[in-house]
Amino acid sequence: MKNVFLPHSLADLWRHWENEPAAAVYAGGTDLFVKMRSGAINPPSLICLERIEELKGAEEKGDFIRIGSCATHAHLLENSLVRKHLPVLVQAIKVLGSPAVRNMGTIGGNLCAASPAGDTLPPLYALDAEVELRRQDDSRRLAVKDFLVGPGQTLIGQGEILAAVWARKADGYNLHHYEKVGQRKALAISVVSLASLVRLSSAGVVENVRLAWGSVGPTIVMCPEAEKALIGKRLTLETLRKAAVYARQAVSPISDLRADAGYRRTLAGNLLLRLLACS
Amino acid sequence: MKKELLEVGYAVPRQDARAKVTGEEKYALDHYPENLLWAGAKRAGVAHGRILEIDFAAAEALPGVFAVLTRKDVPGTNRQGIVHKDQPVLAGERVRHRGDPVALVLAENREVLAQALSLIRVEIEPLPAVFDPEEALKPDAPRIHERGNLLLHAKIEKGKAEEAFSECAVVVVETFEAPCQEHCFLETENGVAWQEPDGKIVMIVSTQAPFRDRFEIAHALGLEAGSIRIISPYLGGAFGGKDGATVQCLLALAALHAQGRPVKMWWEREESFAAGYKRHAARMYYRAGARADGTLHALQCRLYYDSGAYAHLGGEVLELGMEHAGGPYRIPHTDIEGWCVYTNNPIGGAMRGFGVCQVSFAFERVMDLLAAKLGLDPLDFRLKNALQRGDRNCTGVTLVHSTGIVPCLEALKRHALWTGREKWKLSAGPFKKRGAGLAAVFNAMGYGRGLPDSAVAKVEFTPEGRFRIYSGVPDMGQGNATAFLQIAGEILCQDASRLELIQPDTERCLPAGSSSAGRTTYTFGNALIRACREMKAKLCHRAALVLMADEERGFALLPGKVRHLPSGRDVDLDFLARLLPEADRSSVGQTVMPVSQDVPDTGKGFIIGFPHVFFSYAAHLAYVEIDELTGKIEVREYLAVTEGGRVINPQGFEQQVHGAVAQGIGYALMEQVALDQGQILNPNFADYLLPTSLDVPDIVSVSVETVEPTGPFGMKGIGEVGANAPVPAIAGAVEDAIGVRLTRSPFTGGRVLSMLEETP
Repeated sequence: MKNVFLPHSLADLWRHWENEPAAAVYAGGTDLFVKMRSGAINPPSLICLERIEELKGAEEKGDFIRIGSCATHAHLLENSLVRKHLPVLVQAIKVLGSPAVRNMGTIGGNLCAASPAGDTLPPLYALDAEVELRRQDDSRRLAVKDFLVGPGQTLIGQGEILAAVWARKADGYNLHHYEKVGQRKALAISVVSLASLVRLSSAGVVENVRLAWGSVGPTIVMCPEAEKALIGKRLTLETLRKAAVYARQAVSPISDLRADAGYRRTLAGNLLLRLLACS
Repeated sequence: MKKELLEVGYAVPRQDARAKVTGEEKYALDHYPENLLWAGAKRAGVAHGRILEIDFAAAEALPGVFAVLTRKDVPGTNRQGIVHKDQPVLAGERVRHRGDPVALVLAENREVLAQALSLIRVEIEPLPAVFDPEEALKPDAPRIHERGNLLLHAKIEKGKAEEAFSECAVVVVETFEAPCQEHCFLETENGVAWQEPDGKIVMIVSTQAPFRDRFEIAHALGLEAGSIRIISPYLGGAFGGKDGATVQCLLALAALHAQGRPVKMWWEREESFAAGYKRHAARMYYRAGARADGTLHALQCRLYYDSGAYAHLGGEVLELGMEHAGGPYRIPHTDIEGWCVYTNNPIGGAMRGFGVCQVSFAFERVMDLLAAKLGLDPLDFRLKNALQRGDRNCTGVTLVHSTGIVPCLEALKRHALWTGREKWKLSAGPFKKRGAGLAAVFNAMGYGRGLPDSAVAKVEFTPEGRFRIYSGVPDMGQGNATAFLQIAGEILCQDASRLELIQPDTERCLPAGSSSAGRTTYTFGNALIRACREMKAKLCHRAALVLMADEERGFALLPGKVRHLPSGRDVDLDFLARLLPEADRSSVGQTVMPVSQDVPDTGKGFIIGFPHVFFSYAAHLAYVEIDELTGKIEVREYLAVTEGGRVINPQGFEQQVHGAVAQGIGYALMEQVALDQGQILNPNFADYLLPTSLDVPDIVSVSVETVEPTGPFGMKGIGEVGANAPVPAIAGAVEDAIGVRLTRSPFTGGRVLSMLEETP
């Protein structure tokens, strides 16, 4: 039995947290409860952020969409701003967990869990997203790629929460693609994933491209060499194969129960070839 | 209750559905008697070792701990098991797999129980261990049991296989491997038990075999079987995993030490993985030959089944595997040899498809390979060699009962999915390849010779004028309870409002064997028909007395009444019910399944179960799409044609087929108990993957309705046969699509992609 505190405002949160600094802070609990059940962690008490209105919803902020950290995946799937400006994120959320997990889990939670297999992470890297971190009397912004430092590790400080995600609108891209290879079609941890944003000219030439891989390194992997290999070229099988070689060099996958490193490395390259089928 | 007709032959909704959906129906798990204690087992955590010390002083001293029991507290033989009694209730000297229980704790609540278990310190001196059945047979392998590591070795020989191979135009040789599969029932192993003041043990438990459980517990704990009462509510799934003692012996032991308080034991999912039974991993060496005209001629197999640490039903599982090793085909010369071997892995046991699932992978792939070598259509090749009534099967038994593989294959051949497959294959998208694969399979029904497959059914006419069926075989979700109600409704001509069914209770119901082996509805159904007919005759006779009719002729049992047809006079059942004395209210029927009358002079190594004489048949077709970039296999369409005699409930039939195919697709694509030195690496549903609804396509189920004249209303059991075909059908479809030959399951993306890359 544990006490769970459910603050309805940030002010409430800070007040309570001061008294129980060792409490674990969570939103959907889809990650935390699994760890608690397995005995990996055993916090003295819990603070749940899901009822804090200030941490929900999404709004347009210039070139960015600011998404509250406690917006659930299910909410984002339905959100018109997110659907319009961040289609690659929507594609990723569609294959995240299951309807039940998407109803509970939040984008902030997915980031703070900091799993290299987290489904929203590759899109957020590709989108040049930033996180907004808040503490009682302070707030700061950090690029997602700087915020995540390793498996399960972020730069979040003691007494700090992730309040929002700022994702740059992807309006300049006309090919948005997320592919996840899992061991099954739902409720699967990604074996390898790839988020791709491509701007193709009317003649079909790549003008800009952003690529981010999940599950092939301690954090999300980006590969400027692969991006460079595509810019100025048409998306032909030959071009993509060349870029795939760079991708396979850039990744540093591990072998685990789900897949061995060799398969992951091969996939990291192969998934690029899919752009041929989407373009 | 709404008046609902219960008759044989149409899709009656499950009679237990409403109560289950509303939560009114109580599973074993839902029983929380007052003042209960919780029991939990401390498990070895070492694959093979000698117990030096079990220090439970700290656990015993913990407030809220009622008792800590070890081997020395176990009366009786301390050995459980169904055929071979080799599994300790509590290990005392040796542990043989990581899940072996070494101590049993009784505590006031689950929190204290967990804490107490963590306080028990077990010192085990590790012994050399062995995890592969072939390794375990080597002379220098670590000995797991006194009698050695061989649980059972047997041969089935027919004709002269070795010579026959020289007469073959084509011969194929291949080795196949299939891993352990977990049952993954929703309701994990559990029960609650207490000792009555007169010493009797009462247990409400999730079990497939309530009547046999009494004997297993009695043998293990030195009790009288008659002093044990087992109550078996509806099960939340079992698939074979609750055939044989799971919590039973531990719970009875706990009850003996609980001073009359009820004790509940409920395995967590991880414990269910560690201590529960699994489908046997198998390695299968096949060699098969056919003549130039396309007739199968010779088969040689060497089968190794991994029994894990104990026997459970390993010998019998191997027996069934060997008996089906030749597929549903005529093969004049067979040489089938099998070994079921102890290792330090988790315990192998019964699971839907009971040993047959594994060999089906092998023999059906071999059929494809032979057809390809002969340049024959794989379906025509199967049809040409398919067993028919009057043929001898691969063990030499003459098939005298319904034998429907030919109608299954013919129905499949006519189906649009078969005729349209080439067209479908052409429309694959970029980076996709499509293929179609076929499998013809069968599965024996019943216990086979050596263990009478019998059932006794009782029907009671209640003082309220209703009919109460006392079921002796549990319903683990397969729907037999509804079939029983339909059978009774058909004969007694009553609607649902006048029929009720009691789930097994060894004190109220009569022995009817286990819910297993595709025999549940067949055997109990036959007994029930007799009981219902006797009841009907009784009521017509008693009505004749009431009406002072000269003779019993001309009476009909109708909903709520008995009518004398010649005179049109009715006797209400309500009235009759008040009239009949207690002693005249029930009827009993019994039956034993027929057995093979020509027992071939082979298979001497089997203890029980050889041979079988009834089989159900199926022909399946899988459409798969392979992603060339990921190696992932997607099953896009699936056709299952099944022959199980007449169908009592088309809906129940279809659900059984769907469930079996889904379980088979899981076994083909992703399911595998991952083991490292006997340790399960994926003992939970995050890591042990089952197919989700998105991974299973719509399954088209077609029933080929033959008649099995010995069966209740012409039926045979079909719960298992469907699980045998998906692995070979999908493997065949993959080879059809990309030319990759998969001989080890599951067929993961990684495995397929690496083979694709090796393919020139």
